Amino acid sequence: MSKSINNKLLIDVGSTYFKVCTVHGVQQHFRDFNKDIFDDLTYKCGDIIHNYHKDDVHVCSSANGGLSTLIIGITNSFSLKYATNIAFNSGINIIDTVLYKEIEQTSIPSDLIDVVIVVGGIDSVSSIFDKKLFDYLEKINYSNIVYVGSEKEAPYLKENIENLVTLPNIITNKLHVEEENLKEYLTNLYQADIMGKEDIKHLYDITSNQIYSTPYIVNKTLPLIDSKFKVANPYILIDIGGATTDIHYSKDLVDENMVTENEYDRLVFKKLGVYKSKESLIFAAKNNEFVYELLAHLKVTENIFDESGEKATRILMQLAIFLVLCKVSTYRKAYVNLKLNALNSLVFTGGITKVLKQEEIEDIVSFFYKKILNSAHNPTIVMDNNYDIWTLGMNPEKN
Amino acid sequence: MKVVTGVVGNDIHVVANRLIDLSLQARGFEVFNLGVNTYLEEFVDAVIETNADILLISSLNGEAEGWCREVKILKSKYGNLLDDVVFMIGGNLVVGSGTADDIVPRFKNYGFDLVFHQVDLNTGLDALEEFMKERNT
Repeated sequence: MSKSINNKLLIDVGSTYFKVCTVHGVQQHFRDFNKDIFDDLTYKCGDIIHNYHKDDVHVCSSANGGLSTLIIGITNSFSLKYATNIAFNSGINIIDTVLYKEIEQTSIPSDLIDVVIVVGGIDSVSSIFDKKLFDYLEKINYSNIVYVGSEKEAPYLKENIENLVTLPNIITNKLHVEEENLKEYLTNLYQADIMGKEDIKHLYDITSNQIYSTPYIVNKTLPLIDSKFKVANPYILIDIGGATTDIHYSKDLVDENMVTENEYDRLVFKKLGVYKSKESLIFAAKNNEFVYELLAHLKVTENIFDESGEKATRILMQLAIFLVLCKVSTYRKAYVNLKLNALNSLVFTGGITKVLKQEEIEDIVSFFYKKILNSAHNPTIVMDNNYDIWTLGMNPEKN
Repeated sequence: MKVVTGVVGNDIHVVANRLIDLSLQARGFEVFNLGVNTYLEEFVDAVIETNADILLISSLNGEAEGWCREVKILKSKYGNLLDDVVFMIGGNLVVGSGTADDIVPRFKNYGFDLVFHQVDLNTGLDALEEFMKERNT
């Protein structure tokens, strides 16, 4: 490990494990769910933590799972597409979208929505939204609401929607995307959400640095991945954890990119974790028409969903790999369809690398390519067995 | 008046697109130019986002035939939001031979109000202005 982290302590707080990285390597500890994160962390690693000054402790976390977002827009090609893109680039996880003309037929989300984004029209347009919007908003449970559409419409909405935050339009008068204001708002909301969690808030007792979300940190490390792993571009990195499954991908794998600042983008699937969001993972699995074939391939039945233990966890992790690949493949028309047939490497990190063997992952990936893409393509599987990836960002000059 | 324009489908006639943009601006229209390689749904969505009065689609290599058959379906999806929008198409609208006598009714049946097959740009725009004048009186 390079000298650059000699004086630094890196901590990643996950929903299932926390990891602590010092110059001597990475330690991992299973969370004790009877204690809050801070007590558990200081109980297990207090000796290490007390050796570091607060300025030298850097913490990231995915334990809260991120923000749920609902976007209401008037067209697919502009308002919904632009707001979705900005939300993803701000690290926001769940994206449900509602096309305004279908709002009366749209089902009402039962979950609490952290932030609703309303968008539509260039600045010269008015009379876009009406009572339908207010009726819909009344039925949903949300914490924050922001309007980023036509400025002429803003006073009417402000009058009728309590606590509405209005920001400059994300659609310019040339129909181009303007992302900065909404991106900053969402990023701040994400940070506030991390800091607002009681457990996480206490972590500021041990660090004076900003606590970032883990997907944000992992994404920043991707350009440095060559320093530790033999990875060939284009590649994707899949981080399967307890609460979320994140995919990080190089932009060579997508045709369309409106925002080109970063070389890599990411998608975070909040409900595809194997511990904290296990129930929703099983729900997603049962709704996939290939899942029974996959279970047969793995020589288990659907009874495995009712079981717990090491075998059940292994199967869930294999399902998570399959489902997340489905979600970004052409099999599902989603926000992003990655060119998976062009993949050279598939990197795995997170709790999955501690549970599954390389050949078990290869087996699932190969099943996915055969069944879903009708292809014999086999990208190289790279395992981050020691959780090194999330620490790379601290070592830009790493040997 | 606001006009959304662009070249439909896998058609890359940028020069024609630019000429249409400039000509419309010279005639006093507020132009939203989506450029070349534009899908039908994007045209309609741009009309909604800008509250445009006119959608002017151009096609030089006959792409229009394959891409514009679903205008009526798209219009119906947006209900009365598009009722007052004038749908116009011009250029070389089909691949191979065909006369305006066959092609114009066909495209009107697809959902266009004004159809100009192999007609000079200025002639088409004169007709558009005339149409809008009559409609607004």
